[in-house]
Amino acid sequence: MDEFAIGLIGTTALLLLVFGGVRVFIVAALIGLMGTVAIIGWKAGAGISGTVPHSKSINYALSVLPMFILIGFIAYHGGLTHALFRAARAWVGWVPGGLAVASVFATAGFAAVSGASTATAAVFSRVAIPHMLAHGYDRRLAAGVVAAGGTLASLIPPSAILVIYAIIVEESVGTLILAGFIPGVVSALIYALLIIGQCMIWPEMGRAIPSPPWSERFSSLPGTIPIFVVVAVIFYSMYSGTATPTEAGALGAFVVLVVALAKGMRWGALREALLETAKLTVMIFALIWGVLIFVRFLGYAGLPQAFSEFVVELPFPPIVVMILILCGYAVLGMFMDAIGMLLLTLPVVHPAVIALGYDPIWFGIIVVKMCEVCLITPPVGLNCYVVSAVRPDIPLGDVFRGIGPFFVADAVTIGLFLAYPGIVLWLPNLVNS
Amino acid sequence: MADTDYPPLSPIARGLDRIDRGMFRVESMFNLTSALVILSLMLLAVVQVVGRKAFDMPIRGYVDWVEFAMAIFAFLSIAYTQRLGGHVRMEFFIGRFSGRLLWGLEIIGTLIAMFVIVILAWYGYTHFLRAWNIGDSSIDIQLPIWPGKLVVVIAFISLQFRLWVQLAGFIRLFFYPDAEPVAIPKIESVDEQAQHEIDAGLAGEEDKVTIVGTGVQR
Repeated sequence: MDEFAIGLIGTTALLLLVFGGVRVFIVAALIGLMGTVAIIGWKAGAGISGTVPHSKSINYALSVLPMFILIGFIAYHGGLTHALFRAARAWVGWVPGGLAVASVFATAGFAAVSGASTATAAVFSRVAIPHMLAHGYDRRLAAGVVAAGGTLASLIPPSAILVIYAIIVEESVGTLILAGFIPGVVSALIYALLIIGQCMIWPEMGRAIPSPPWSERFSSLPGTIPIFVVVAVIFYSMYSGTATPTEAGALGAFVVLVVALAKGMRWGALREALLETAKLTVMIFALIWGVLIFVRFLGYAGLPQAFSEFVVELPFPPIVVMILILCGYAVLGMFMDAIGMLLLTLPVVHPAVIALGYDPIWFGIIVVKMCEVCLITPPVGLNCYVVSAVRPDIPLGDVFRGIGPFFVADAVTIGLFLAYPGIVLWLPNLVNS
Repeated sequence: MADTDYPPLSPIARGLDRIDRGMFRVESMFNLTSALVILSLMLLAVVQVVGRKAFDMPIRGYVDWVEFAMAIFAFLSIAYTQRLGGHVRMEFFIGRFSGRLLWGLEIIGTLIAMFVIVILAWYGYTHFLRAWNIGDSSIDIQLPIWPGKLVVVIAFISLQFRLWVQLAGFIRLFFYPDAEPVAIPKIESVDEQAQHEIDAGLAGEEDKVTIVGTGVQR
């Protein structure tokens, strides 16, 4: 049997086992191990696979992951959510649908730092929705804003998922982190424009609220400083190259920790946050080394190369192939968690995308955005589910109807990035040149 | 069905439950160790940046120290996470099964995991032995490499023990599908997943929201 056939059999077995519910890191390691053994023999194959967990995990570049995760778990304790919403409301409340626009910016700002889309949607259901309802806002809009706002988590720095993408496709972590910034902000602005447009056409959906005096506007700002500090420290470190991602992440975590302690976070809560961080960290590392064992095997089997050649020879223009790939992710994302989905597919998809002539940094941003969109689409749409769970007065159906326009906005955003890659690439190119 | 509807545990199940809890105590200590290493790494990095920028005094061998400690948080909690069902998998299909079919699939999945981990533990061990024998060390300040490799082996062995206990738990349920599950991670319903996210999100809030076990249909 030739190597390519072994590669195909292995990949098929991988899919079957993953769909069968075996843990992804185990499946990837198993298929990688057995496949490598089938191609280069037991001693060499198993020997090589056995060194991968240690040799691939112990890499300074990966030490940024627990830092970003830790920022997220501590951030809930600093009273930042309320402060952000208060400030956003004071500053942008005057536009049509002002409270909803404020919710988008507050949610996006917090999600950026927490990095957790769904948990952010949960807390802002508590923080923002009551204010919107009290001002007579349409409850579908109120729920949709919060569910959608959480999805901006993974583009604006710090973003663990962009780090994982960078590691798996061997691109610079710093470049990916930088590249996410403008697309994240653009996504938030498009959401805001959507709300303003809707509320101008149907003013009863959400009215502007009067601006508070300037003194009050400025006094709303200090509480939000930690958020800006975290984003700015990480952004500036990557931009100027003065600190490594790990150092920048550690500084960010330190800032939120100090704020949380000042706000009365106790050792019990910190311990809980640390334990959750350790658990999530090991889960991600297991996936990374498991998938890297599989990637070795793919390399021996020549599968990524063959897939690239196949994709390039397809009788369609590259953009059509790209849209098909993105649709594939949209479908897969309905069944699978974003990190697992990315890690499993990228080893094959990424070389093909490069062969089509696309930029790997750009593709990372697009595909991560795609993963986030999956959090607001049925069948599960966990963000929507959580909003409805925290606000039992808003049925799930209403949340899904409320999120509809945001889904369209996301499609527009992705279309925009496809048509104008410069939106994504301008900043990283500026820094690299 | 609420937990109270189960018949009392048999002596074997009680024994399994006790082993599970005992092991979980050790795994929790491993996880706490990882957690503390992460906290220390954060403080170390802050000292490193401040030292380098403000006083032009970077920590000597900083990257070596980070890589030295990394094996702990990259591996040591692996069994703890397995116990809690925290490793990613696709539950969309398997979550729809129940009874013997479900437990049968779980047994197969666990056996596969045991097979993989045994091999990785063994070759991880030979990887460690090589580093030990040649006295391999880091580039900058010559920290030994072997402790990190040993941590990987220890983590895999602890995962192997955990998988044995889970296998026993699944086999028991395969034969007695109506018994109360012990020593296995449950498949989370969407409600339970949502509950985790809500707990995380509202960690800093006074009022909590409980949706699991309230009997509310959505």
